[in-house]
Amino acid sequence: MVTEQHPQEGSVKHRHRQEGPQRHIVVFIFSVVLTLIAFAAVAAGGVNASFAVILLLVMAVLQVFLQMGFWMHLKDKGHLMPIIFMLGGFFIAGTCIVMALYWVWWD
Amino acid sequence: MAQTAQSLNHARPPEAGHSVKRHTGLMDWITTVDHKKIAILYLWAGGLFFGIGGLEAILIRIQLIKPMNTFLDAQTFNELITMHGTTMIFLGVMPVIFALMNAVIPLQIGARDVAFPFLNALGFWTFLFGGLLLNLSWIMGGAPDAGWTSYTPLSTSTYSATHGVDFYTIGLQIAGLGTLIGGINFLATIITMRAPGMSYMRMPMFAWTTFITSAIILFAFPAITVGLVLLTFDRILGANFFEVGAGGNPVLWQHIFWIFGHPEVYILILPAFGIISEVIPTFARKRLFGYSSMVFATILIAFLGFMVWAHHMFTTGLGPVANALFSVSTMLIAVPTGIKIFNWLFTMWGGQVRFTTPNLFAVGFIPTFTMGGVTGVMLASAPADFQFHDTYFVVAHFHYVIVGGLVLGLFAGLHYWWPKMFGRMLDEGLGKWTFWTFIIGFHMTFFVQHFLGLMGMQRRVFTYLPNQQFDLLNLISTIGAGLMGVGMLFFLTNIFLTSRKPADAADDPWEDGRTLEWTIPSPPPEYNFKQTPLVRGIDAFWKEKTAGHKGMTPSEPVGSIHMPSATILPFLMSVGIFIAGLGFMFSRDTFSSDALSFLFNNYIVTGLGLLITFGSMLMRSLFDDHGWHIEPEELEGR
Amino acid sequence: MTTAHAEAVKGTLPHEPEKATLEGRNKVLAFWLFLGGEAVLFGTLFATFLALRNQTNDGPSANELFHLPLVAAATFLLLVSSLTSVFAIQAMHRNRPALLRSWLLVTVVLGAAFLGLEIYEFSEYVRHEKFGMTTSAFSSAFYTLVGFHGAHVAFGILWISVLIGQLVRKGLTVVTAPKIYVSAMYWHFIDVVWVFIFTVVYLLGKVG
Repeated sequence: MVTEQHPQEGSVKHRHRQEGPQRHIVVFIFSVVLTLIAFAAVAAGGVNASFAVILLLVMAVLQVFLQMGFWMHLKDKGHLMPIIFMLGGFFIAGTCIVMALYWVWWD
Repeated sequence: MAQTAQSLNHARPPEAGHSVKRHTGLMDWITTVDHKKIAILYLWAGGLFFGIGGLEAILIRIQLIKPMNTFLDAQTFNELITMHGTTMIFLGVMPVIFALMNAVIPLQIGARDVAFPFLNALGFWTFLFGGLLLNLSWIMGGAPDAGWTSYTPLSTSTYSATHGVDFYTIGLQIAGLGTLIGGINFLATIITMRAPGMSYMRMPMFAWTTFITSAIILFAFPAITVGLVLLTFDRILGANFFEVGAGGNPVLWQHIFWIFGHPEVYILILPAFGIISEVIPTFARKRLFGYSSMVFATILIAFLGFMVWAHHMFTTGLGPVANALFSVSTMLIAVPTGIKIFNWLFTMWGGQVRFTTPNLFAVGFIPTFTMGGVTGVMLASAPADFQFHDTYFVVAHFHYVIVGGLVLGLFAGLHYWWPKMFGRMLDEGLGKWTFWTFIIGFHMTFFVQHFLGLMGMQRRVFTYLPNQQFDLLNLISTIGAGLMGVGMLFFLTNIFLTSRKPADAADDPWEDGRTLEWTIPSPPPEYNFKQTPLVRGIDAFWKEKTAGHKGMTPSEPVGSIHMPSATILPFLMSVGIFIAGLGFMFSRDTFSSDALSFLFNNYIVTGLGLLITFGSMLMRSLFDDHGWHIEPEELEGR
Repeated sequence: MTTAHAEAVKGTLPHEPEKATLEGRNKVLAFWLFLGGEAVLFGTLFATFLALRNQTNDGPSANELFHLPLVAAATFLLLVSSLTSVFAIQAMHRNRPALLRSWLLVTVVLGAAFLGLEIYEFSEYVRHEKFGMTTSAFSSAFYTLVGFHGAHVAFGILWISVLIGQLVRKGLTVVTAPKIYVSAMYWHFIDVVWVFIFTVVYLLGKVG
């Protein structure tokens, strides 16, 4: 991990760690791998349907976690409010999904 | 972050000049980005729509005054009930709530403006043009007639062939956009613009409820936007979301509508809770009982508010598991709400209570709202709901919570903050006449409707047969509605007479003000605070008063104050969306004139509207607003 | 904080120029809030799609319709564009406006390629598969969900293009930096939504 020291000017108290591209390339590779696993599982065929659902959703959620954490900086300090409101949004979205799956059609 | 918020405004780019173009008259109102003026715009617009919705209510009640009445025909009645509900919820009470939030929140948290003055104006204008679009339906081929919930399939083009429901879907989408913008703005304002020392747990309760309300707006309005888009696509583009014949499902509309619709009623009531929590301590001369439990209860109500939507759909046949689940979650809401009721009672307990007009409304609110809450718990019981569903019992219930809760709360807030907004105290005598006529009329109108419902009178039906014991109760109800109208007239008279008096309200006209808005002149100067105050505790002003201080300790020296420039772009953007909405609505119509058909059918009108909107956005992006400054000499000179 | 501003006035940018001013910080925060709302927007669209995914009304079903290679290509384009927009922000944090502009340009080009693929896909469905907006409840839900995402991509392309223009004219300042940061957040969010679209709509559609 390469860290460059940002030149200090005036009385800036905190030090900035300059992130290198490596970390983001690693996230990118992870994303590609997760995507490939998902596509391969479907393309290969013969995978048990209910297993496929779980596998695909896990791959998707992992990838989203990585991208939101690293690329959108949610893992960094000072992101409490963004995290609260993104979780809130995802929670309500999840509620809608539950509604769609269980309470729209019935016998 | 809050600590540095204000001081940063002082650093200014070197090119920003001191000269500023000031608009006057109508241009001033159209271009303003000042939260205090936007509050007044919201108030007048809300008042206009509230008046329209109120007249619709009076017409409905006149039709129902006796059995087999022929005052209105069934179609007009359907349009009136649809527009009454839609107008009151979306265009009547919401803007008055936003008026009070705009007028008060920046003052209460010690800020010079909201986080995004430009967006604030944009939110207002989109709301207004959405509301105007919806009400244009009266003169453009008939208003929507499928109920305020616009249930499919009744609202699909098969059963509702006029453009009425299109006005509903497109008008509400535009107005909803404005509300969403306002919600985000208030969230950001409360998170970042609080004065030094004002931690979250030192915020006045109205600021807290505004914060939570805005969060509900943020999560609820996108859902209805999608629902309205789907219905629009069904009606205009021939999509099949709710068309059973092509695989669609009408229950899906009900779900989406209520996933928004139930949180919406908490969007309405939570600000009223906030207002009551300001008014009662002020006039009891005691701090709010159980502040932290109030905050906790507010958050809990917001969360539970999203978890109960299907209690509107017990009779659709969701099955026993879902019905039981939603029954329980609904009843749970009674717990945090009960906490609040008791906290208000305990605040008054042992206080030196003064029954001024705002306090009368606040005290009247408590039992009235509680009655609405209790019938809510009755309705939450799924088996009982099978009997209550779609009867006047439901009508009575939701008018008790919305009128007996929210509208009384708004009256309390308007009388309480009127001197701060306009610099003039409303007349106390007329205020008390308003209160008594309104609340007596209210209970006359809606209390009897509980029994009408239990006896089996269906809602949304334009007339009823004689000799079912409905006659007398309906007559009483209509007389009560008239009395509420008289109460409104007292209020309007009060406003008119007050506006002719000199603007001489004191900084702290109620003399027992507890929060920051009472530390500055009434009405406040456009920069609000000459020096940002330092907050040392909950009820910041009261704390200074008890310490023997006359005012707040400033947290900064007097310095030049940066102000945002007035701009017409928010107005233009909203006009553009309005034109685009109208254009899209009529895109499949044939017109008598070929030129008109050409313009509408090829989406040229829609494109033109979008061009205006996106063009204005581009202008906003390309040309930086450097704002202008008010210098210390100017501050001292006043 | 005043230091950050002093630097801005002097002409040297602070390390995170998007957060140097109150306006900038407000903008980033409010955009997060907006994305929370967008999550609900897409959540409702996904819910609609899931409710209606099997309602094909004798029209083509998901399994008959979708071609995975095309979807994989689109996915890869958008994923790379998300990475290039990370690089753009890194260039911004290093105060290298020329590099920033180039990465933004690459992002826009990749986004346009994605959008081109999507338009091609839609037109194939309409022309060869007789699968239009009005075919079935499933088709309406598919076009609305994927189309909403496509419209977001289109808006993002226009937005970032305008920002590139502003960078050329005004340079990288504490005023332009928050705009660029926020547009990058938007772009990442579009990619996040796409992850769910290719999973839920296309892959699970193939699984059945």
